[in-house]
Amino acid sequence: MTEHDSHTVAAIHRELHDHLPSDPALRVKALESVLVGKGMLDPAAVDAWIELYADEIGPKRGARVVARAWTDAAFRARLLADATDAIADFGFTGWGTAHMRVVENTDEVHNLVVCTLCSCYPHAVLGIPPAWYKSAPYRARAVRDPRGVLVEFGVALPAATEVRVWDSTSELRYMVLPRRPDGTDGWSEDRLAAIVTRNAMIGTALVTVPA
Amino acid sequence: MDGIHDLGGREGFGPIDADEDEQPFHAPWEARLNGMVRAISRAPDWTIDWFRHCRELIDPVDYLTRPYYDQWMQTYAAMMIVSGLATVDELAGGRATTRADLPPPMTAAGVAAAKARAVRYDRPGAATPAFAVGDAVVARRDGHAGHTRLPAYARGRRGTIAASHGAFVLPDQGALARDAAEPLYTVSFPTSELWAEAAGRRDTVLLDLWQSYLTKA
Repeated sequence: MTEHDSHTVAAIHRELHDHLPSDPALRVKALESVLVGKGMLDPAAVDAWIELYADEIGPKRGARVVARAWTDAAFRARLLADATDAIADFGFTGWGTAHMRVVENTDEVHNLVVCTLCSCYPHAVLGIPPAWYKSAPYRARAVRDPRGVLVEFGVALPAATEVRVWDSTSELRYMVLPRRPDGTDGWSEDRLAAIVTRNAMIGTALVTVPA
Repeated sequence: MDGIHDLGGREGFGPIDADEDEQPFHAPWEARLNGMVRAISRAPDWTIDWFRHCRELIDPVDYLTRPYYDQWMQTYAAMMIVSGLATVDELAGGRATTRADLPPPMTAAGVAAAKARAVRYDRPGAATPAFAVGDAVVARRDGHAGHTRLPAYARGRRGTIAASHGAFVLPDQGALARDAAEPLYTVSFPTSELWAEAAGRRDTVLLDLWQSYLTKA
């Protein structure tokens, strides 16, 4: 049984701070050795997860969802109404995606996703969140100065555009459906997916046609 | 808790590193740690909210300065200790002196099934909504010493129910390994309600908040 006591855990953190190896790589190695020795971890499973996140689970998945929404109106409607169900068409279910919500950028509205309290992110659809998404400056500023944050990412919005910032405080996970850029009429789903970036699906970029 | 983790709206942070590449990890140990936490055997009373709370309890200076996955490492180390699964000496020396009494860990073959597993947190029908879409609400003014998902910047502020999601596990109880559910809502706050400098702007911040975080306006 775990003693779910805040003061006990805070005291343990202080003790760990003083006693663990000074290099993070060594700390992680020590933890892995202990977990394996305890019978709590199989290193081959760790290798398998590393491979999955290197190849299969990443923002290319979300880009395919976006490209389909751009080319298939019925899918787009389903995605906006029940994103979890629509994304399941692709088999992109997994970590952090039991309760998906997709919010759509339009002429009038620009959406931006943040997690001010930790780092919640739809891993199975977008992969590992970028370091900036998990950083203190982004978490602090996205809800207070979203337009200033967007300018740092090279996105200048007209004053008339409404910015909606989604703070991921629950187990709902948000993804932005970006606007389809002009000049892409007739493009295939694959060609469209190739221009959708990770940042565009978080809301810190617009999708553009490469020059 | 009014911890260092509650960063929304804090001022004084500098620019964001917007030029980062799309590589998922920036050191091999980061990828390794991420894989480890997905593969380990877990104590039955470890919940997502207990993990979050244990990370929030990292010393504030460490929280702001230590690399992200290094914080995960220390959080799991602390969770093992408080659950009686390891000692500080074992983790400092990198050598286990006892075995854990837990089910065997995930194998490489088991990863294929585990990768598609999405844990659900909704508890349909477990609680009755008191608010409807369009209702004006005020977020509770005070927090409490334990885990909660009501950020400081929204407390005491007035918003509107934008969506009603049915009952979800209440994190404040989930962090104590109790599966208690409450109605969950998305609440829309005009930025002008949250920040003095946003007066006149039409932008909004939307948060997912549980029923006990809210009162009728």
